[in-house]
Parts: sequence; C-alpha cells; structure tokens
Amino acid sequence: MRSGHFKERTEQLIVLSDSAPVWAWSAVLVVALAAAPYLLNAYLLSFVVLILITATGALGLHLLTGRTGLISLGHVGFLLLGAYAYAVPVAKYGLSPFVGFALAGTAPALVSVLVGIPSLRLKGLYLAITTLAFSFIIAHLVLQMSWLTNGARGIQVPRPEMFGISFDSDIRFAQLCLFVATITLFGVLNIERSRVGRALMAVRDNDIAARTMGINLQAYKLRAFMTSAFVSGIAGALFGIYLSFVTVEGFPFLMSIEALAILIVGGLGSTLGVVFGSIFIVLLPEVGRTALSLLGENAAKLFSTGANELRSVLYGVAIILFLRFEPRGLVGLWGDRKRLWVNWPLRF
Amino acid sequence: MQYLLDQVISGIAVGAIYGLVAMGFALIYKATGLVNFAQGEMSMITAYIAWSIAGTVSGNPWLVVGGALAASVVLGLAIERVVMRPMLGEPVFATVMVTIGLAVVLRSATLLIWDAYPHALDIGAGREIVHIGDTGVRSAQLAVMATLLLALGAFWAFFRYSRIGKAMRAVAADERAAKLMGISAARIHAVAWTASSVIAGIAGVFSALLYDVSPNMFHVGLKSFPATILGGLDSVLGSGFGGVIIGVAENLAAGYLAPSVKEITGFIVIIAMLMIRPFGLFGEREIERV
Repeated sequence: MRSGHFKERTEQLIVLSDSAPVWAWSAVLVVALAAAPYLLNAYLLSFVVLILITATGALGLHLLTGRTGLISLGHVGFLLLGAYAYAVPVAKYGLSPFVGFALAGTAPALVSVLVGIPSLRLKGLYLAITTLAFSFIIAHLVLQMSWLTNGARGIQVPRPEMFGISFDSDIRFAQLCLFVATITLFGVLNIERSRVGRALMAVRDNDIAARTMGINLQAYKLRAFMTSAFVSGIAGALFGIYLSFVTVEGFPFLMSIEALAILIVGGLGSTLGVVFGSIFIVLLPEVGRTALSLLGENAAKLFSTGANELRSVLYGVAIILFLRFEPRGLVGLWGDRKRLWVNWPLRF
Repeated sequence: MQYLLDQVISGIAVGAIYGLVAMGFALIYKATGLVNFAQGEMSMITAYIAWSIAGTVSGNPWLVVGGALAASVVLGLAIERVVMRPMLGEPVFATVMVTIGLAVVLRSATLLIWDAYPHALDIGAGREIVHIGDTGVRSAQLAVMATLLLALGAFWAFFRYSRIGKAMRAVAADERAAKLMGISAARIHAVAWTASSVIAGIAGVFSALLYDVSPNMFHVGLKSFPATILGGLDSVLGSGFGGVIIGVAENLAAGYLAPSVKEITGFIVIIAMLMIRPFGLFGEREIERV
C-alpha cells in the first residue's frame, strides 16, 4: 500500500500530476488518440471527432459553471456566435482560416462582456435566466441580420487549409480537433492551478469570503465569462466545420442543456469529469440505439422515427438519475474504482 | 386608435395566459425556492390530454375541462412525488437542473406519445366572436381574462385566509421554523406543485383553444419567464399582472416596430428588469447578511 505522500513546496502542490503512472497513461492516451484516425473507420472516427469538439465546448462551460459557479443556460449562444464568426469571414469573404478562428474566439469573448457586465449583479437562478434570454436574443439577431449571415438559409463552410496542410480529409480534421482539444484541456488545467484558477474557485465556494480575501469579484467573473466564451466560440467554429453548414437550427437550445448535462454527468467542477461526461453524452444515443435494437424490431423502428426525441429523453433521464443517485458524477465512480484497486483487499 | 385598442386587447388575452403560467412559476418558487423550468411542458401536456379527451368525447366542453383539470392534478402530484421529493435537501442548483432534465423528458415524451403536427382543439365553445364596441374578441379570450382575474382573487384569498395558504407563506419565509411549528414542508411542496400544475394546465388549455396544440407549446413557459421576473419571482399575484404587461408589450412591439421583435420582447424586458430591479416590481428585495 502506498503511504508517506509528503508535499513540502508549493510547486509540489500545484503540479499538474505528481504521479508517474498518471503521466505514463496520459502519454499512452495521447499516442492512442493520435493513432486513432489511421486505425478507425469513418463511422467510428466521426464519434471521436464529435467527442473532441464536444469536450472543447464543454470545457468552456466548465470554466464558467464548474469552476466559477456561474450557471449559464445560454452557452449555445456563444457556440453559435463562434460558428458564425468563423463562417462569415472565411466562407463569405474568403479570408484566411486563421482570421476565422481568431474571430471565432474573440467575437464571443467580446459579446460575453456585454452579457457579463449586467450579470455581475445577479446570482444563481437570475443569472441562468439572463443567459437563457441572451441566447434567444443572439439567435434572433443572427436570423435578422441576413445581409451578413444569410438569415435562415445558413452558410456553407469548407474545411480549412492552414500551415500549408489541407484539413479536407476526415483524418486531418480529426487531428485538428485533437490538437485544439488537447491545447484547451492543458489550458484549462493550467488556469486551474494558477492564481486565477484558485480565485475563481474561491468565488464559487463563497463569494463573500473571497471578497474579504481581496479577490475582485467583478474582474474575475468577467474573466471567467470571457475565457469561457472564447473557448466555446472555438468549439462552435469547429462544430460548424464538422457540420459543413452553419445555421441557427444547427445550434438548438438543447445544446445548452447537453453541455450542462456533460458537466453534471461527469462530476461538476472536475476537469477530468468534463472529458468523461463528453464521452458519455456523445455515445449515449448510440448505446441507447443498440440497447433498443436488442429489444427487437419494433423498438429499433421507434428509434429511427423518433431519434431526436429519444436522444433528448436519454439526456434528460441521465441528468435526473445522476443528480439523484450519483451527484459526484462519473468522476466519483472513477475515484471509487481507483481506491478499490489501490487498497484492495482492505476497504480503506 | 382602433388598431391600438385591438392590439392591447389581444395582448391582454395572451398576457393572461402568460400570467397564469407565471403564477405557477412564482407559486413553486415561493414554496420551494426553485425555478421550475418544466412549467411550459406541464402546461403543454395538459393541453394535449385535453385534446385527446376532446377527440374521443366531442361536444362536451365540461367533460374536457374536468378531465384536463384531473390530469393536471395527477401530473403535478406525480412529478412532485417521483422526481422532486427525493431531491429535498439537495442544493438548489441540483434541484433546478432536475427540473431542466424533466422539461427535456416531458417535451420529447409529448412528441413520442402524440405527433409533431399542430391540431385544433375543438371543445364546441370558445370560438364565437363577441363585440365590445368596435373590437371583436373571441369568447375564449374573454374567458382567459376572466380566469386570470379569478385566479388572482382566489390566490389572494388562499394566502390570506386558508390554513394551507398561511402554512405555505410560513414555509416560504423560514422553512426550518415552519417545520418546528409542525408544518409538513413536503406536503406544502406537494400542494404548491399541484396548484402550479393546475393553473399551468388551465393556461395550456386556453392557449390550445386560441391557437392550436402543437409540440412548440412549451414556449409558453419560456415566454412567461419575463412575466415572473417582472412581477417578482416570489410574488404570485405580481407574476399574474406581469404576464398581462408582457403580453401587451409584446403585441405593441409586434404591431408598431416589427413582427419579428415579438419573439424577443420578453427577453429584452428580462434583461432590463434584472439590471434595474432584480427582485421584480412586487417581489421582496433579497438582503444578504454575512
């Protein structure tokens, strides 16, 4: 049994991971993910891509909701803005994808200041309702400004070409998504172990106490809003490229719920949980379909006619069941398994 | 002038629907301290049940109304008992997320059980045009306004005179003290969920009468949010009035600015209201003590 785990310096406390096995397994995972595009068929690869994009977007919400404790029901607004901020300059005006990605991050970040400033006075449910209202207003504006956004017709988005590499093939695009998701994950992990990350956590756990410790609530909440919107915008742009078509219908309100479901299912406040949650939520409809097809012909037919509805039902039920029976989420279950593995045959 | 009058009157009728749903929001918030994001879905399900009943027994409005009321009572009780009561004592965030999950489930279940097409709810009444001066109003529009007034009066009396109403106010003010006085908080929550489901159901049936039953009916919940925020989340009567204001504002914005503005008028009102008076026109200011 492992014992004698001492920390003597601050660096040891805030290091990403102090365990060699964790680093080794992470390296294995990175290698596996890098190799995956070459090994998997197109069908499975599309799931990998979707998981990577979803995880990126969910990490954005995680910074805001999981870390800072500001509930957002309007996350889809940032995704939508990011997608359009990429699609309009690249597909409509033929600018470089670099400009597109830069705008996909900065445009939502700037707009998030507009939402963030009025939200600074609000807490909890009121903030959730404001962000909800915001996402509807954004969708409405995008539909109305058809001179820029083509309104309801949408914009066709080509796969980008950057650094002299064409990301046209599925393999290359998967690698692009993997790159962005990895950078985002490391970014978020590093924010969390910095002064900013600890300040955000303090705001989440007790904002009055945080304030008395000299944390500027307004500044940190706004920072959380902007970073979150930036990351989500990039994810939105990737999702738009993945769909190869950006419309308001491509970003339904359900996506906000889906993002919250990922955080809850994974374990609120945990970055690892976001990854688990993304995998779970993306694969859930597929698993549900397989399970139904085992039940027989009629059940399988139900899935083909009401696929979207069944998917929503699964999300909803997953949210309710996790909150009811395992509020710590998948990360909690994972921790239990790990402890069992390390301590066995002892219980503690 | 006539145009303005038309807009205002039909605005009041829509606003009465919003007001009823908003009262449901406020009732649950007052009793349990959480926002029920499934309110619009609950009103949609009741409307669909009413439509199913109207399809089997045609031409008897009382049977349809009675059946819908009974269904909404069962729905409210079932949701409280099965979904919400196990969450008692959990953090507000978790409980609110459960209502969001519930909303998604109910919404998709409606699509799975019934279909995705709009249907007219025909109960053999409510479509006649009544003339007030030069303005033609459908009788269902008048009925919904009357219902809102009735509901406002009934809730005022309920909170002021009835034993359960007083108990509900006590639970809202201080749940622990209320429990120590022998009030069963769980029962009060059940009453609140049931009452809220019933008024949401009434609103749903009226909305189905005036427009159609369709899977988009849950939007009435989203559009009633502004009403509750305007009136005050913890003020049941204020929310009722808030609904009327939102309905009229929506119609005037659509009539005088642009038809498309109608969809987001309420949301703009929310943001403006939350910036100026987050606790609403009639709500109680929250004071935070360290």
